Amino acid sequence: MANIIEVRGLTKRYGRSLALDGVSFNVGAGRIFGLIGRNGAGKTTLLKAILGLTPYEGSVRVFGLEAARDRSALMNEICFIADTGVLPRWLRVDHAIDYVQGVHPRFERARAEAVLAGTRIPRRARIGELSKGMITQLHLALILAIDARLLVLDEPTLGLDLIYRRQFYDTLLTDYLDKERTILLTTHQVEEVENLLTDVLFIDRGRVLLDAVVEDLPRRFLQLEVAAGQREAASALKPLYSREVLGRPVMLFENQPREVLAGLGEVHPPAIGELFVAKLTAAASPDDPSGGSSGGSSRLTTGEAA
Amino acid sequence: MKVLAMQMRREIWEHRSLWIAPLLIAVLLLVGVATLGRIQFYEGPARPATATAPFELMLLGWGVPFYLAAGIVVAVYLLDCLYGERRDRSILFWRSMPVSDTETVLAKLLVGLVVVPYATFLLSALTSVLASVILAVRHHVLVNGQVAPLWNTLMWVRMQLVMLYGLTVLLLWYAPYAAYLMLASAWARRSPYAWAFVPPVLLAVCENMVFGTNYLGRIVERGFSQVLRLAFNLNLQFAYSVGESLPLAGNAARGAVRPTGGGATDLLASPQLWLGLVVAALMIALAIRLRRYRDDS
Repeated sequence: MANIIEVRGLTKRYGRSLALDGVSFNVGAGRIFGLIGRNGAGKTTLLKAILGLTPYEGSVRVFGLEAARDRSALMNEICFIADTGVLPRWLRVDHAIDYVQGVHPRFERARAEAVLAGTRIPRRARIGELSKGMITQLHLALILAIDARLLVLDEPTLGLDLIYRRQFYDTLLTDYLDKERTILLTTHQVEEVENLLTDVLFIDRGRVLLDAVVEDLPRRFLQLEVAAGQREAASALKPLYSREVLGRPVMLFENQPREVLAGLGEVHPPAIGELFVAKLTAAASPDDPSGGSSGGSSRLTTGEAA
Repeated sequence: MKVLAMQMRREIWEHRSLWIAPLLIAVLLLVGVATLGRIQFYEGPARPATATAPFELMLLGWGVPFYLAAGIVVAVYLLDCLYGERRDRSILFWRSMPVSDTETVLAKLLVGLVVVPYATFLLSALTSVLASVILAVRHHVLVNGQVAPLWNTLMWVRMQLVMLYGLTVLLLWYAPYAAYLMLASAWARRSPYAWAFVPPVLLAVCENMVFGTNYLGRIVERGFSQVLRLAFNLNLQFAYSVGESLPLAGNAARGAVRPTGGGATDLLASPQLWLGLVVAALMIALAIRLRRYRDDS
């Protein structure tokens, strides 16, 4: 499968601070690629580099074009939604459609109209008069009507309530995914996109913590609900991370055979959010890989990752 | 081309004052002319009542409020056009479209320096006809007690050409000022107004303190005095010498006001004007680069 995005040694400095530190990865065609990280981990900077919105060191090739140099040509192939706040408030809904039709060669007006027909967005209203949910719907309608090969979403549901978040991903799934296109998204609402993603890239402090295909995760990572009396035995296997759930230890293991763990309690594949916290905790205390069983786990809660 | 046109339409959608202000002036002036009382001129016995002096004066003065209003809204527009999109973060939306930064910045420049000025010119030309019609119908203008002729097609055409030519020369003259405003707009993290006014003043003061000269101050001062002269018609010969140099001017419609000395033609021949255009191009190139590589949204 051809790579749509190839990132090599991507480094980005803001003054003295290093936002990205030698990041390398590929995104294949047709993948749904999730960039997961805490606030300030470098997710948005990474997306900006891929979109050619910021200068950088290293190489970022998207559809074979160097992103920083060929941004406007690239935008023929890419659609991009930052968060909901970026549609200009003064712009009228019908003008927004006219505008995209005027500048984007792959925009199909009928598709946008069809998506909008299912909403209660008034055509002559200014965007500033719409609710946050409506603005997201409008943005999605504009973007989905563009026949682009890559869709980039940066925290697309930030600040939306649950109903709209659901709607957003539902519309995305039904309208976009049937076309076998590629999606690159960042979010800290991991659980919302958990079942959507085909690939994940964990990123923290500008470095890649994990770059994996979601299908492979259950083979590499397992979560164990430790049975009574097995705590010592389980800890001896050097879990990546451990925490207490209702008085019972729950541990996450990397590269431990399922058969071995099965003798110590109940074994599940971990949720991506759980895995993220585990990797983050392990990375925070690299000298002590089993440190998760002591104080390390209290530093981060699953809530923050989720 | 289609992209550039759409990009310019989008500017007009956003900055409604660009067309509202000249239209408002048009309405106010026409209402003023329609409701005005009788205007009387006493030109003395030497002047026959058939002279078209009132018409000519009206044409000369008619454009002034239009260009003043347009000048103000364009200056405000240029200062905001590359700053506002970063302030409200909509730049992320604009830059998600396949439009290059060069196209975007040029569209903004064209709106400020071509679309609005020439649309204002057309509006002023059109409304001057309407005003003549209104005055003619109501016979409001008397010279030496007799109704003055308020229409002379040749003179009208001549005056419009004079204005068009003067406007074009002025736009070339002011291009570096416009480019500087855009650069301030692209540069400012906050308050583009401060960036527009403080650095030139500071630099001029420093220059004066260090070298005892004030070249910079004179450049700025000269630019502004030029607009004042035109706006208030303190320098009538400015417009008139242009008219003399046009082939159409001929002898047919010699005006009441006789020009002496150089004006716009001198301006065109001056090296400052062409140097200014080079500076303007450099500043626009810089503004494009800033929009492209700036990353603070």
